[in-house]
Amino acid sequence: MTKLLQDIKLIGDEIPWLKDFRQKGKDEFISQGIPTAKTEAWKYTKPNRFLANDFSFCPQGSKDISPYSIEVPFKACQIYFENGIFSHHDELPEGIEVLPLIEVIMFHHDLRDKIGALAEIKAHPFAALNSAYLNEGVYIHISANVTTPIVFVNHITPQPNGNMYNLRNLVVVDDNSSAEVVEYYCYEGDIKSSYLVNVVNEIYIGCGAALKHYKVQDEAFKAGHIALNSVKIKADGLYQSFCLQKGADLSRNETKVVLAEEGATTEVNAAYMMNGWATIDTTTDIEHLKPFTKSLQLVKGVIGGQAKGVFQGKIHIAPQAVKTEGYQLHKAMLLSDEAEVDVKPELEIFADDVKCSHGSASGELDQEQLFYMQSRGVGKDKAKQILIDAYLNDVIAKIDNENIRLWVKSFIGEHD
Amino acid sequence: MNELNKNNIEIADEAGDKYKYGFVTDIKADTVPVGLNADIIRLISSKKGEPDWLLNWRLKAFEFWQTMVEPSWAKLSYDKIDYQSLSYYSAPKQKVAPKSLAEVDKSLLETYEKLGIPLKEQEVLAGVVAVDAVFDSVSVATTYRAKLAEQGVIFSSISEAVREHPDLVQQYLGSVVPYTDNFFACLNSAVFTDGSFVYIPKGVKCPMELSTYFRINAKNTGQFERTLIIADDDSYVSYLEGCTAPQRDENQLHAAIVEIVILDNAEVKYSTVQNWYPGDKDGKGGVYNFVTKRAACRGKNAKVSWTQVETGSAITWKYPSCVLQGDNSSGEFYSVAITNNHQQADTGTKMIHIGKNTTSKIISKGISAGFSNQTYRGLVKVSPQADNARNYTQCDSLLIGTTCGSHTVPYIENRNSSALLEHEATTSKISDEQLFYCRQRGIGEEEAVSLIVNGFCKEVMQHLPMEFAIEAAKLINISLEGSVG
Repeated sequence: MTKLLQDIKLIGDEIPWLKDFRQKGKDEFISQGIPTAKTEAWKYTKPNRFLANDFSFCPQGSKDISPYSIEVPFKACQIYFENGIFSHHDELPEGIEVLPLIEVIMFHHDLRDKIGALAEIKAHPFAALNSAYLNEGVYIHISANVTTPIVFVNHITPQPNGNMYNLRNLVVVDDNSSAEVVEYYCYEGDIKSSYLVNVVNEIYIGCGAALKHYKVQDEAFKAGHIALNSVKIKADGLYQSFCLQKGADLSRNETKVVLAEEGATTEVNAAYMMNGWATIDTTTDIEHLKPFTKSLQLVKGVIGGQAKGVFQGKIHIAPQAVKTEGYQLHKAMLLSDEAEVDVKPELEIFADDVKCSHGSASGELDQEQLFYMQSRGVGKDKAKQILIDAYLNDVIAKIDNENIRLWVKSFIGEHD
Repeated sequence: MNELNKNNIEIADEAGDKYKYGFVTDIKADTVPVGLNADIIRLISSKKGEPDWLLNWRLKAFEFWQTMVEPSWAKLSYDKIDYQSLSYYSAPKQKVAPKSLAEVDKSLLETYEKLGIPLKEQEVLAGVVAVDAVFDSVSVATTYRAKLAEQGVIFSSISEAVREHPDLVQQYLGSVVPYTDNFFACLNSAVFTDGSFVYIPKGVKCPMELSTYFRINAKNTGQFERTLIIADDDSYVSYLEGCTAPQRDENQLHAAIVEIVILDNAEVKYSTVQNWYPGDKDGKGGVYNFVTKRAACRGKNAKVSWTQVETGSAITWKYPSCVLQGDNSSGEFYSVAITNNHQQADTGTKMIHIGKNTTSKIISKGISAGFSNQTYRGLVKVSPQADNARNYTQCDSLLIGTTCGSHTVPYIENRNSSALLEHEATTSKISDEQLFYCRQRGIGEEEAVSLIVNGFCKEVMQHLPMEFAIEAAKLINISLEGSVG
């Protein structure tokens, strides 16, 4: 076993519940190990190549107060993490409560059940690893219709290579409440810094509630980013998400949505853009458990260099979950001869009265479109850029909030 | 649940006892002792009078098989197979090989007659089909060989081919599916008893459709067929394979291999209708069907097309594949799979694009009813040198009733930017509107369902040769018989 698992004294080890929780995660990670090409869920991503560089958990990070600060170009309420450590948050609008997770575990015993209930460690080795180091992260409680976006930032400052940052968040949206949450992962300093971010988000959406979840992953080029978003939606609830994966050498954004009650709806969209030698993985798993549930997925990617794009999408429809709809579309564009895309869209259907479909297409940049633009005096590089932007714009356009949409768009540019 | 669904479930319940071909022919079978070891393999080999190289190859396969683990990735659940409790060789007892139909065991001929195989000369003439009928494991009669021989076409049992054309067999046997390929292919390589061998010489367009009926008969006999088809430059052949098996209580194992080699500008069309005993309506009995089928398009402009209609077997594990090595080669896969009661099918295809400008097309239609589960599992792989590869995949599933399952697991691996790959899959039920439309025009419910299902499968059925298309349409109706109303 690598240095990923170490015996480190963490805050709260004296709490039996927490100690037990961490131990279970540890045991599970030891028994599963780092996934290999033979692990079906990680068949294409093969994290062992990246994890050959040893990473070890970084419990305290930099103690200095950082001179850097990250601002998003729109009005938002920020929750600020530096090197995986909770730093501060802006003044909170009405209807939002933010607490460090460790505080919740210590003082709000009724919420303990929610931690670990959605992110199954049996199926997700990195969630097990995350549980073993359960410490940093926040609890976000939304109890009204909140209009100001909540922006969660994890900012990596220049650090020695080889650190692993472990984050765990719990989001609870009360019945008939709504909010927009933005996750933003960024770094400062050397583009080649090598670190690993391991995030687990557990999200509970109440009856008639809505959560719009946007994420931009813009880590350093030699970094790793592994995220699991586990969501459960009650009756008539809505979970809408968009994730742009742009940085990192190994990146995986996995979204698992359980449509647990009638009328629950989810929309899981994603875009990825990659060059170099990176592997970028978008994995979704939508479980329709009850009738009249609906899911929509659109994932688009652009891959250049020797990079590899991976999409694994699964729609599961339980027996009796009739009158459900599940749609999924994945499209990838390969810009170079060494680029690669591996796709596994999966349907698992046990009910007859459903409408379900998935589609997948991959190909190169349309030469005719390129020619058309060049013949009208647009330089080749510029034309390429326009076409790629248009290609990804399809999915970015699904972001309702204009400020956030424009901000996400600003990350797309410069391809070879 | 609406009325139709309720009806469908009842219908699906009733459909189980309709297996038309359930009978056992009473012939003295020459069976090797139960169990599997190197001695059994030597015995099989010596009974068939095989040369040493083949025996050694079998033994190597057996040795390797012992190191392998039975795969468990498929969405199938069945009791563990005890490979030591099976008998690995069974040939109808006959002292001398028959030279004409008159010499063939009468009860054998009657069996074929019941199955409706046009084995007799005049029946063959009527259908203009050459039948290399395989009863259990040994070819008992081969017709129309003279006419084929005129053109230089070799169509014989594989044991005969081993004797008469050892060079060809040795050159190609295991070259498409090596014994190390997978668990069941390895088992087959060690113990295969018989099968068909086809060689189409350069520039020959085979004058008729070649066909084989496989049949599992003797009790407790695993069936291990091995088919090898070689289409030399500029040749063409259409090969039909159809299967029916008698009703049995015990599960029967079938692990076959089909290897096809296609050289420059040649084309092979391989069609299958599979209707082995699917087990009764409680899921008892039925054939276990683990098949490895693969075609290698080695030459330029080579073309292969797989068409299959799968209605039988309790367990189906089958992925006819195309390895598109030659530039401009193309592969096609058309499939209709129907599962009812407790049948389980995990089937699909693999398209491996290696040569430049290769194209492939996959059309898969799945219909599940009763308590059955069906999975489409496919792989489309484009290697870095396969410039301009094209693939189009369409998998549609139809569910009848709320207790069945239909799954789609495609794998798409693209390593070439000039490749264009498209995949589509849909799942739905028979729409109430379509049914209503038929009903109000005076078409009975059952008839309407069969009409709609036949329409659903049409894209695949039209790729079947005539004789098969008729049989297949009948089979679909039998499989869904009583499933409505």
